Amino acid sequence: MTRTAIDRGVLAASAVFLLSVPWLIPAVADRFWVNVIAEILIWSLFASSVNLLFGYVGLLSFGQALFFGFGMYGVAIGVEKLGLGFWPALGLGVAAPVAMAFIAGIFAVRLTWHYFAIITVVFSLIFYFLALTLKPLTGGDDGISFAIPPTFRLGGAEWGFANESFQYFFILFAVAACLYAMRRLLASPLGKAFMAIRDNDVRASLIGLNVYWLRLVAFVIAGFLAGLSGALFAFFGRYASATYMFYHVSGEAVVWTIVGGAGTLFGPLVGTSLFILIREVVSTHWQHHSLIVGAMAILIVIYAPRGVVGVWRDLLERFGAPKL
Amino acid sequence: MTAATTAATTAATTAAITPILRIEGLSKRFGGLTAVDNFTLAFEPGRLHAIIGPNGAGKTTLFNLISGFLPSDEGRVFFAGQEITRLKPHRISRLGVSRTLQVKSVFNQLSVADNLWITAQAGRGVMNPFRAAASYRQTCEDVERVLEQVELTALADRLAGTLSYGDVALLEIGMAIASRPKLLLLDEPICGMSPAETERTVAKIRELAKTIDIVIIEHDMEVVFGIADDITVMAQGAILATGSPKAIAADEKVREAYLGRPEDEDYTGEAAGA
Repeated sequence: MTRTAIDRGVLAASAVFLLSVPWLIPAVADRFWVNVIAEILIWSLFASSVNLLFGYVGLLSFGQALFFGFGMYGVAIGVEKLGLGFWPALGLGVAAPVAMAFIAGIFAVRLTWHYFAIITVVFSLIFYFLALTLKPLTGGDDGISFAIPPTFRLGGAEWGFANESFQYFFILFAVAACLYAMRRLLASPLGKAFMAIRDNDVRASLIGLNVYWLRLVAFVIAGFLAGLSGALFAFFGRYASATYMFYHVSGEAVVWTIVGGAGTLFGPLVGTSLFILIREVVSTHWQHHSLIVGAMAILIVIYAPRGVVGVWRDLLERFGAPKL
Repeated sequence: MTAATTAATTAATTAAITPILRIEGLSKRFGGLTAVDNFTLAFEPGRLHAIIGPNGAGKTTLFNLISGFLPSDEGRVFFAGQEITRLKPHRISRLGVSRTLQVKSVFNQLSVADNLWITAQAGRGVMNPFRAAASYRQTCEDVERVLEQVELTALADRLAGTLSYGDVALLEIGMAIASRPKLLLLDEPICGMSPAETERTVAKIRELAKTIDIVIIEHDMEVVFGIADDITVMAQGAILATGSPKAIAADEKVREAYLGRPEDEDYTGEAAGA
């Protein structure tokens, strides 16, 4: 078997597993795991926004939670305060973070490295505290709970997130569509321009790339990914809360991405799965599960800087499987 | 004074044809240090022009000013008659001024072919996210052609970061070609190379000079006197002398400037004898 064949096999097996989750899981385990997997998918989309910025454009953002929070609030305010249906609320939950990313990006992408990381943290802190204080709009500490509107209505029949399988598949297809779009993007001129900037921004401007503008585009796309994941999470949890805008949430996504493999399409999914599964399995027995998470993150950063996906690729290269 | 006079003469003789690059009174100060001091020179098209001078003479700063990397304090820069003084680096690049850096720099995590691909495409502007890179036939053809020109076809799929030093230098030259420049600024292209690599690179530069105007900064006197049509000597940010290699080799002030550096002395002598 060639390396590409093995990779394709793993991908196909994962796809089959993910598509069969709503039937497979209740047959072999507690139904509760269906929602855990749905949650993993949402958070991996969030981590993908970190991955796009850090892994492909070279910008380390600790502020993606800001856009996640805007996605959540867009949906919750849309449904609860404005009385919107599912799709308009989803639209608001995507448009708000994208607009915010554009505005924040205008300032943030002037900077790189730690300066960029700091300004992204500052932006998310400002809006975190704003969300806490603007009680009439955001519900402050308590957040906003809402009743889920149906997604599709045909005659008398309704489909929506109230149905657990529908909810799962909706999330799965949204996340899969984003990853597919990202894959296409990375093979496009824009994707190559992103990677050129990541590798060497000085050289990139010397060959005629407008580094500032391209970084802004990347920042807005990342804002879209983070915002959509926040919007999905709001529908999934039926509420929005300022706690998800705290930079601690952004930091988790950075860790998931780096452990899974920054600069690889599936790295964030792998990292997020690993950490959320550990959390779910260990936290019922032991309160301090984050110790394991921390130790793992440190070990991987030191011994496998290209993350789990990087280790996987090295293994394929070393043991058999000639390159096609 | 001689410097000003020579510059004026050059300007006068080239008045008929538009110089590929014209610099007027360019200055750059870093705090108390004047890195480039009232630099005025017109570069004739169709000639390979070399800039030499001791370390700290302001050669690289001059390139930084031309390519838009540093804002100048005074003076103006014209490329093929068009003023480029305060343009951003990517704008200047798109007009047709390509530049290499003193420290070899390519896109390490991209393949050799992708390095050339993005360089060729960058000049064409639009970065469409909805089309596969492989479907841009013109750009892909350019990449194939350049790969052959710099003899890197066999290494096309290798990551640029894994290439040998000499191959990186070839890739840099390939990228310079791929961006289809009218003017190429080479900053010490053979610095740190083995004799064999030097020979290979010099041959490529000579070949390039047939179709592209080149300004080269180089320390290796043998190379400079071997390939340059015109030489400008810089010292302390200003022009010490400018003229043909023969005139420069015979110039008293140039000899004086290099006398303090014995390792360069025999080169100057050798070139003067040649």
